[in-house]
Amino acid sequence: MTDRDCEWLRAVADELALGVLPGQERAEAIAHLDRCPACRERVEHLTFVGDGLLSLLPGSEPPAGFETRVTDRLGLNRPARRWRPRAGVAVAAAVATALGFGFGGWAVGTAIEGASAPPSRSSQPPGSAHGLLAASLLAPGHRPVGRIFAYTGHPGWVYMSVHLGRDGSGSDSRAGDASEAAGSRDGYPEAGKVGCRLERTDGTSVHLGEFSLDDAGRGYWGAPTRVDPATVSGARLLAADGSVLATARFDAGHNQ
Amino acid sequence: MRRLGLPLGRLSDEALLAGMATGAPETALAFVRRFQRMVFGIAVAVVDDPQLAEDIAQQTFERAWRHAQVYDSRRGSVKTWLGTITHNLAIDAVRARKATPVSPEDLDALLGIVTRTPEQWALADEAASRIRAAVAGLPRQQARAVVMAGIYGMTARQISEFEGIPLGTAKTRIRTAMGKLRTVLEPERADHD
Repeated sequence: MTDRDCEWLRAVADELALGVLPGQERAEAIAHLDRCPACRERVEHLTFVGDGLLSLLPGSEPPAGFETRVTDRLGLNRPARRWRPRAGVAVAAAVATALGFGFGGWAVGTAIEGASAPPSRSSQPPGSAHGLLAASLLAPGHRPVGRIFAYTGHPGWVYMSVHLGRDGSGSDSRAGDASEAAGSRDGYPEAGKVGCRLERTDGTSVHLGEFSLDDAGRGYWGAPTRVDPATVSGARLLAADGSVLATARFDAGHNQ
Repeated sequence: MRRLGLPLGRLSDEALLAGMATGAPETALAFVRRFQRMVFGIAVAVVDDPQLAEDIAQQTFERAWRHAQVYDSRRGSVKTWLGTITHNLAIDAVRARKATPVSPEDLDALLGIVTRTPEQWALADEAASRIRAAVAGLPRQQARAVVMAGIYGMTARQISEFEGIPLGTAKTRIRTAMGKLRTVLEPERADHD
């Protein structure tokens, strides 16, 4: 990288960010960005401006039946038997989505804790509507640190957003790099991953997966899994050493 | 935690996208309902053909569903990501159909739309109202250049031919306009970082 390269990049950065730089120049610009973080940041900022321009376009109601045509096109309006072949694709997409969000790990239902047998697969009350469970994730000091959603339809899924923060009282993580130990109870593990377990009313729990938090203690994570509203009781967010970072609970009257 | 108490429509955009990727029909429908006006709006503004715009909007949702894995929340919102997909598809469609992506009348009409500032729009989205005001405040020639490039996907050479100006002048107009808009949006960007 030379100053001359950067100077040239600055001259074409706006067109590059707007996606209108012609082929050869575009290829050269992208090659330069690969090795120049400063220019990359400049183009990212300009791309933000381009996105802003699109936000000025007014919304417009599509023709009647649009939703149906889209879901038909995705193969989601067909009877279950017909879209079953999609299941593998869908799960793969969900796995990939999780990875795209910066999530790691994918071991749904593979690590049951506790002595009780897992609940029956048909335990959902007949005729019950599929829906969405939601709860706050609470740190041990009852500080809200995120939300968890669990979808009870087929296929079911769990999604959570977490923001543990670095400045919780008593957090060892304030010590910065010196704090390598995961599992600070009111902060977050600076290294390694956090894990999520779904808890059941019979005392068992299932490991859903692991994901990483960013430097600010934020993370988003999702996973496909069967969620039985009759037996699921809550969730736990665990540090790498097994300590509990946060918990979520059902309403008292949730089951039965 | 509440049972069945939260409608899918109240789920965050990211959660809805993650749910849609699992193939859940209800979630996909909720996702389409949430973004269809925006997606169709971008498509129809760029291609000016409702039938083609619908096809582009359908392709957008199909692409979002198939490529949800490349979505990275650190690089922008779901809305922005979806808008970019729509825009790219619309630009491709326009380039395939016409040598010049825009007519003078369309350009003036669109400039009027993106620089008008109805009160309800300003209230609905502060960032959009700021950039709208910034575009409206640009010299007309610069506003035309940045809209031609940013919305119709016209290259600097196409703009120079369309406007009857030297290529260097077209590039300068784009660059100057983008510089001014960037300055206006910098505080917003900092908020996101």
